[in-house]
Amino acid sequence: MPQSILASMWMPSADELAQLAPLFALVGVIVTLLLGAMFTNRNRNVAASIVTIGAIATGMLAFRRLQSGAPSWAGFDPTGMGPMLISDTFSQFFIVLACVFMLIVTSMWWLGQKSDLPDSEVHRHDATEFFVLFVGSAFGMSLMVSTTNLLMIILAVEMASLPSYGITAFRKKNRVAAEGALKYVLFGAITSAIMIYGASLLYGYFGTLDLARIGEKIAAEWTGGATTSTIFVSVALFAFMIGIAFKVSAVPFHFWCPDVFQGASIEVTTWLSVASKAAGLGLMLRVLSVILCSPATFPVEALSYVSWTIAIMAAVTCTVGNLAAYRQMNLKRLLAYSSIAHAGYMLMAVAILWRPDDAGAGLAHPAFSAVVSYIVMYLLMNAGAFFVIAMVYWATGSESITAMNGLIRRSPMLAICMAIILFSLIGMPPLGGFYAKFYLLSAVWSAGLEWLVIVAVLNTLLSLYYYARIVRAMILTDDGLPEFAAPMSGQLVVAVCTLAILLTGTFYAQTLKNVGDNNAKGLYAVVKTDAAARTASAE
Amino acid sequence: MDASLILNLVIFGPLIGMVLVLLAPADKAKHITWATTFIVLLLSLTLFPPFLNGSAFDGGYGENMQAVTQHDWINVVGLKIQYYIGMDGMSFPLIILTTLVMWLAAWTSWNFDTWKVNKGAKGYFALFLLLETGVLGTFAALDFFLFYIFWELMLLPMYFLIGVWGGAKKEYAAIKFFIYTLAGSVLMLVALLAMYYSSADATGTGTFNLISYATIDAIKANFNDPAHLFLGWNFGKVMFIFLFIGFMIKVPLFPFHTWLPLAHVEAPTPISMILAGVLLKLGAYGFLRVCYPIFPEAATQLAFLIATLGVINIIYGAFCCLAQTDFKRLVAYSSISHMGYVVLGIAVMTTTGFQGAMFQILAHGISSPMCFFLVGVIYDRAHHREINRFGGLWLQMPKYGSLATLGFFASLGLPGLCGFIGEAWVLLGTFNADFAWAKPMAVVAAFGVVLTAGYILWMIQRVYLGPERDEYKGYPDVTAREVGILTPMAILAIFMGILPGYTFQLMNGTLDSVLQAMGVAGKAIAAATIGG
Repeated sequence: MPQSILASMWMPSADELAQLAPLFALVGVIVTLLLGAMFTNRNRNVAASIVTIGAIATGMLAFRRLQSGAPSWAGFDPTGMGPMLISDTFSQFFIVLACVFMLIVTSMWWLGQKSDLPDSEVHRHDATEFFVLFVGSAFGMSLMVSTTNLLMIILAVEMASLPSYGITAFRKKNRVAAEGALKYVLFGAITSAIMIYGASLLYGYFGTLDLARIGEKIAAEWTGGATTSTIFVSVALFAFMIGIAFKVSAVPFHFWCPDVFQGASIEVTTWLSVASKAAGLGLMLRVLSVILCSPATFPVEALSYVSWTIAIMAAVTCTVGNLAAYRQMNLKRLLAYSSIAHAGYMLMAVAILWRPDDAGAGLAHPAFSAVVSYIVMYLLMNAGAFFVIAMVYWATGSESITAMNGLIRRSPMLAICMAIILFSLIGMPPLGGFYAKFYLLSAVWSAGLEWLVIVAVLNTLLSLYYYARIVRAMILTDDGLPEFAAPMSGQLVVAVCTLAILLTGTFYAQTLKNVGDNNAKGLYAVVKTDAAARTASAE
Repeated sequence: MDASLILNLVIFGPLIGMVLVLLAPADKAKHITWATTFIVLLLSLTLFPPFLNGSAFDGGYGENMQAVTQHDWINVVGLKIQYYIGMDGMSFPLIILTTLVMWLAAWTSWNFDTWKVNKGAKGYFALFLLLETGVLGTFAALDFFLFYIFWELMLLPMYFLIGVWGGAKKEYAAIKFFIYTLAGSVLMLVALLAMYYSSADATGTGTFNLISYATIDAIKANFNDPAHLFLGWNFGKVMFIFLFIGFMIKVPLFPFHTWLPLAHVEAPTPISMILAGVLLKLGAYGFLRVCYPIFPEAATQLAFLIATLGVINIIYGAFCCLAQTDFKRLVAYSSISHMGYVVLGIAVMTTTGFQGAMFQILAHGISSPMCFFLVGVIYDRAHHREINRFGGLWLQMPKYGSLATLGFFASLGLPGLCGFIGEAWVLLGTFNADFAWAKPMAVVAAFGVVLTAGYILWMIQRVYLGPERDEYKGYPDVTAREVGILTPMAILAIFMGILPGYTFQLMNGTLDSVLQAMGVAGKAIAAATIGG
């Protein structure tokens, strides 16, 4: 009987649906884009407007959920088997960030469309398709931070990846773009396959897709010494993490990153540089913390292999990123390697999840706070830096470092802002980037991984040279390139980013830390347990 | 006005000037900078009465800091950073020195329009003022985190001042300066974190307070505990070495001195004056403020090594001077040689040694900007710096010759001028120290005095004496502006040389307290109080 089938089916309540409003809004934007294209003869300005309005609306919805603070987390949990989707402060915060960044990228699209340079494909008639894929990847990334279910994680990663391949390849006639997209697809396919294999091993062994339950079962099997499953679980979990490491572009899964960044149009590069890494890191923190925190006393030694792998991966990632950036002449490629290095710094925070923490009750592990603070600053720095590169590109048609020569004379405002942003990327005080790094490193230090901090500060030194090379080109070198007038609205975005970096570095240093702490509160399944108990189990 | 308010104004006054420079038309930039630095100088001089009447004057350290401002800056779970500034006998004389040298350097920049690279006056003067804030902030900061922020703040303006407005190899010089200094500061950052979390282990709440590190027994015991390990090595020793390397790059101490001659030669004259007169002092100040009071155990164990480095600086720097044909390079190497005395004086950890080091810091802060300015004067006219191409300048430019002789004799350490006192005190302090190696070390270092006399007299002979040369006929003598810049330094050089007691009085009290806090039985010689 249809009646009884309907009754036995689980239906979400209105309240539960309301918690997922930001995700529905993103789907709505995609649908509106497709319908709008039908009725407006694929008008690109209409498409961009829809995305702008949609991003603002979604951001507001997520922000309201953050502000309301009512149930800090809630899941769709019809069968008591663990939720498919969750909505807590961490996920809502990432959605807000994604929306802000969508706005920045869309504004870059508006300006790029108006530049004198011949239109690229993203600006032509195909703009609707571009935006559909763009919002689609944003939706996938939002899903990535909103779930703790193996199956949903795989879906989310694919949802984020597939449109990303598409927008990378959008410059159809560009060989570099095609090469980058192909590498991206191949790498993505292989890492996804490994990830799904890892998930199937975990599911096959534990019989559940819910990470919290997997955590409980690992803890239950642990009887003080190594169990037969330790190696097996570590391998399975690590295979699963490879799919995420690919999104973060952690070494050795980073090879796609420079080619994609160089080949894709600058809007896409900007988007992927921050959003993809942020979502990947959010997911990685989520996966591991849910496993490590589900039982009150998780035997952290049970997963010590994974812990060490991630710590070493973090050290290698930032070192490789910084060393490889040395010889780059293409600015987008250079920043790609720089983004790999920054992903390495942020991975260090993931490595401390295993360590006992001294955060107060009701707070998540300090790793969350550190990553949130870092990503906020990193978003501002990268948005500013890419905007400057975009404006120089529109004026000169070149993405080479030599296009920056004499920028201090050609467009003083851009040069000064870019210099501040680059020094902030190095991590020089008193700029925001320094505080982000300092909070992260102090969290790593207090967790007892001093050697990782030393690796990080030595990397700061390594990174100096290639960032300073851009500064040198802008300010110390001048080969008489003509002056140009950068679009006012673009200058405004850069100025706002720079001002935010300066203010965070001086008067609002604590605000950055508070943002981190506040958005790492009340996480799903990371119920704060007695710190002493975790300390005891860690030793 | 309240002394602490004045100190804040002194530190951030240049920033106000910087904003004005950026807003005003470019041709007014130098006027604004001159006025700002002059007002800051006057403001800093008004700190004299409160300082002389205050507790810091006789033995102030720890509780007795002067002109203190202390506010919470970042205060979250597990992290407490304060905006904490103040002054004592170590920082106060250096703050005055900085404001003076910066004013003179601003005045030296007056002929900016005639420079080879004379574009971007606004940028030059804005960075100049930013640099002043960084330096003054570092001298006044008592919270280690704040100290680090100001320390790094100096780096960027200096990079651009050398890199944009420098000479032929400016880019290389600037990046070398940048990389060396940043290498030092990343080590400092590691020490910063380590000390914070160790102090948290010792007392329950972490602190960045530099004075607490040196005076609170629980923290001192934790930091200097031989059983306290860091990655398998002794904690105190590792931290001392990290910090020491960070500061020694700035001093600069052999073998990290190579950036200095390069930076000096390429930098424009006023920037060289600041570099030699003020920035090098920050390294030595770092030893006195951070390294020694906080890690006396490690300092004692490593004393021989550090003293040796100091002596190498003295002798090696002096030999390098003898080999130079570039006038400015010679003065740059003489800075290396003179800073060796500072390090030696600190390394032996006697009262006399500390006093001599501190005095030498100030004396060199007067004499080296003077020497660089004197080189700049002749470079502006001749547009070259080849020592062997000069000759007979005294006959052509009598006033310049006389002032130059005074300046270089002050640098040489002629009795009656400022350079002598510092060197003599350091040598006496070394000779008097408890270490077995101290006496031979003092003898070797004393040999440096002879070398110094050698290269300076030889240089004077080649540049200023001898027959008049046609090449330099018709060169105008020093202008009123140049005399105005040289006079304050000349007066101070003579004053500090003849009446050193007044200068010693400013710092003796604090240095005694520091040595006491270090638990090192300081040996004072009675002569240390003459003149006062």
